[in-house]
Amino acid sequence: MQGLLILSVLLGAVLGKEDFVGHQVLRISVADEAQVQMVKELEDLEHLQLDFWRGPAQPGSPIDVRVPFPSIQAVKVFLEARGIRYAVMIEDVQSLLDEEQEQMFASQSWARSTNTFNYATYHTLEEIYDFMDMLAAEHPQLVSKLQIGRSYEGRPIYVLKFSTGGNNRPAIWIDTGIHSREWVTQASGVWFAKKITQDYGQDPAFTAILDNMDIFLEIVTNPDGFAFTHSKNRMWRKTRSLTSGSTCIGVDPNRNWDAGFGKAGSSSNPCSDTYRGKFANSEVEVKSIVDFVKDHRNIKAFISIHSYSQLLLYPFGYKTESPADKDELDQVAKSAVEALTSLYGTKFKYGSIITTIYQASGGTIDWTYNQGIKYSFTFELRDTGRYGFLLPASQIIPTAQETWLALLTIMEHTLNHPY
Amino acid sequence: MQLRRQPLPAPRPGDPDPAAPLLVLLLLLALQGAAAAPAGPGEPEDSGWRQDAEFPRGLLSQAARAALHFFNFRASSPSALRVLAEVQEGRAWINQKKEYKVDLVFTTELYNPEEGKEHLGKCSARVFFRNEKPRPAINITCTRLIEKKTRQEEDYRLYKYMKQLKNLLDVVSIPDSHGHIDPSLRPIWDLAFLGSSYVMWEKTTQFLHYYMAQLSSVKQWKTNEDAIDFDYTVLLHEFSTQEMIPCHIHLVWYPGKPLKVKYHCQELQTPEEASGTEEGSAVAPTELSNF
Repeated sequence: MQGLLILSVLLGAVLGKEDFVGHQVLRISVADEAQVQMVKELEDLEHLQLDFWRGPAQPGSPIDVRVPFPSIQAVKVFLEARGIRYAVMIEDVQSLLDEEQEQMFASQSWARSTNTFNYATYHTLEEIYDFMDMLAAEHPQLVSKLQIGRSYEGRPIYVLKFSTGGNNRPAIWIDTGIHSREWVTQASGVWFAKKITQDYGQDPAFTAILDNMDIFLEIVTNPDGFAFTHSKNRMWRKTRSLTSGSTCIGVDPNRNWDAGFGKAGSSSNPCSDTYRGKFANSEVEVKSIVDFVKDHRNIKAFISIHSYSQLLLYPFGYKTESPADKDELDQVAKSAVEALTSLYGTKFKYGSIITTIYQASGGTIDWTYNQGIKYSFTFELRDTGRYGFLLPASQIIPTAQETWLALLTIMEHTLNHPY
Repeated sequence: MQLRRQPLPAPRPGDPDPAAPLLVLLLLLALQGAAAAPAGPGEPEDSGWRQDAEFPRGLLSQAARAALHFFNFRASSPSALRVLAEVQEGRAWINQKKEYKVDLVFTTELYNPEEGKEHLGKCSARVFFRNEKPRPAINITCTRLIEKKTRQEEDYRLYKYMKQLKNLLDVVSIPDSHGHIDPSLRPIWDLAFLGSSYVMWEKTTQFLHYYMAQLSSVKQWKTNEDAIDFDYTVLLHEFSTQEMIPCHIHLVWYPGKPLKVKYHCQELQTPEEASGTEEGSAVAPTELSNF
C-alpha cells in the first residue's frame, strides 16, 4: 500500500507540484448495497475533489479515498449521518510523504566517492556506471574505463581496465551480469573493482599479480537486460533484442557463443529462456567481447560469473569429451573452492559444466577455451535455491568476499603458470 | 485464471477426459494406488528392472528433491519444512520403458534454520521416475528433526498468527527485488512454499527440477472459517530450462490436517502460439488437485 501511495501521490507532487498538507485517507466500510450507492453519490460531488484509491464496488469490499483538507468535515458528516462506518488510515498524507521521501533518499546511493558507496545494497545501472567513473577518477594511474560496444538498445558497454603499466600484458578477464537477473553478480563485480584498488600495494600476493598482469572487469555485461530487471521484470535473463518472426524478445547470451552453437543444450524457440539466437554472436553484447578478446590476443584467464547454485565449472558444456587440460583445471578448481569455503564455510561443488550442472551449448567459456584461453572458468554464486536470484542484499558482501578468494587462487595460478 | 473444481477422494492419473471407459478408469486407479502406496508387495519388481551402474550424474539429486517436496507436502507442517543438504549414496535401476527406480540416502536441513544451530536430518527414499511423466512415485522416511510436540505447537502458533493477519491482498512480490521478506510476512512465505511443494513434487521429473522463486501475489486470504484458505500465485524457477513458470495455487490448511492443494501453472508458449503480449500467455491446462 505504501508503494502505491508513493507512486501515485509523488508523481502528482512532482508533476503537478501539489501538496497534501492535512489531507486524510479514509477507509470506508459499506454494510450493504444501499450504502455502496450512497458512497457513489459522494464520488459524484466533484467540488469535494475526492481521490478514490479503491472505489466503491460491493458490500464487504473496503473503499479507500483521499480527502483534501477542506472537504474532510463535509465527508465525515455525510458518512456519519448515513451510519456508514469509516476509519482514518492516514492522518496527514503530506507528513507520510515527507517521511518516505527522506527514506528513499537515504537508501538511494547518491554516493560522492567510492568510499561512501553502499556495497551492501543492489544498485541501478546508472548508479553502477557512476561508480565506475568515480573509481577511475580516484585511481587514474590504475583504473581506466573502456567502451567495448553498444547494447542492442544503445547503452554503452563498459569494461574497467586495471593496469600498472607494460604493453598489452597477459591479462585476466572477469565478467558479471551476463544474465541480468543474477543481481548478486553485478553487485559482486562492483565490490571486486573496489577491492582491486584497495589491495594493490597493500596485499603482497595481489600486488604481484597486478604488477605482471592486467585485469579486465566487465561489471554489467548485459545492460539492457539489467535495466529491464529494474523497470519491468526482475526475473529477466536474456538480452532485449527483437527476433524477427516472433513477438518474443531476447537471446540467452550464454548460448550465443560459437562453441557447439545450435547443438543440444540450447533452444531454438525465441520464447525460451535458453534461446540461442539465429546465429552465433548475433548478440552485440556477445560480439563485443569476442572482438575484444580476439583483438587483445593475450588473455590468459577468463572467468564468467553467474548465480545461483554454488558451483565452480570448467569446459565443456556442449560435449562430454574432457578438455585436454582437464586434470589441471580440476586441480585449480579444487584449490579455488577450498579457498572460498575457508571464509564462511559456503559449500561449492566443482567440475565440468556438462557433468556438474547440465548440457549447455554455445556457452562463453567453451568458446574462450577453444580460443586457447586455458584457464576458463564459470562461477555460480550463492545460494542453492532458498532465495535463488532474489538473494538478500545482506549476503552481497560475504558472497563477494568469499568469491574473491577463489578468484585470487585462479589469478595466482595463472601468474605462476605462464603459457 | 479459472480453476475447474474436481473434488476427488484420491489422486487420479493425468488424463482429464471424463468419458474414459469405466474399466480403464478402474485399472488406472488400481495402478495409481499401487505406485503411490508405500513400498511393499505391490512393487513393480517384475517390470524388468536391471541395475544401471552408469546412471546420469544428476539423477540422485533429482530423486532427492522430488522426495523432499513430497515429504514436505505430506507432513503439511510449515514449521518443519526441509531442504536438501547432501546426497550420501544411491543406486538406480532402469527398465525397458526407460523408467528409473532410485534408492537413495540423503541428509536434510531445516528450511528455516535457527541461528547457529545445525539440524541435520537423514532420509532414505525410493523414487520412481516415469520417463518424464509427472508425479514421481515416492516412498520416504526421515529421522525426526524436531520433537513432534514442538512441531505441533509451532504449527499452531503460526496458525493463530496467520488467523489474525489482514490486508494481505496488497502483498506483491515476496521477497522483493532485493531479496527482502518482511519478518511479519515470513509465515505467509512458508505456507506458500508448503503449497508449492505439492506442485513441485508433481512436476519434478528426472530432468526437470524446481525452486520457488517468488510469491508474486495474494489473490485471497480467508480465515473466517477454521482452516486457512490461501489463494496465491508464485513463480517457479525450472532449473534445466531456466524458465520462470507462473503458477496459481489454492490451498487449505489446518494444523495437523493433510494439506489440500489445487493449482494451475502456465506452460511455455511455443513459437507458433506467440501472440501479442511479449511475456507469453499460451496456457496448456495441467490441472491436478487433491481436493
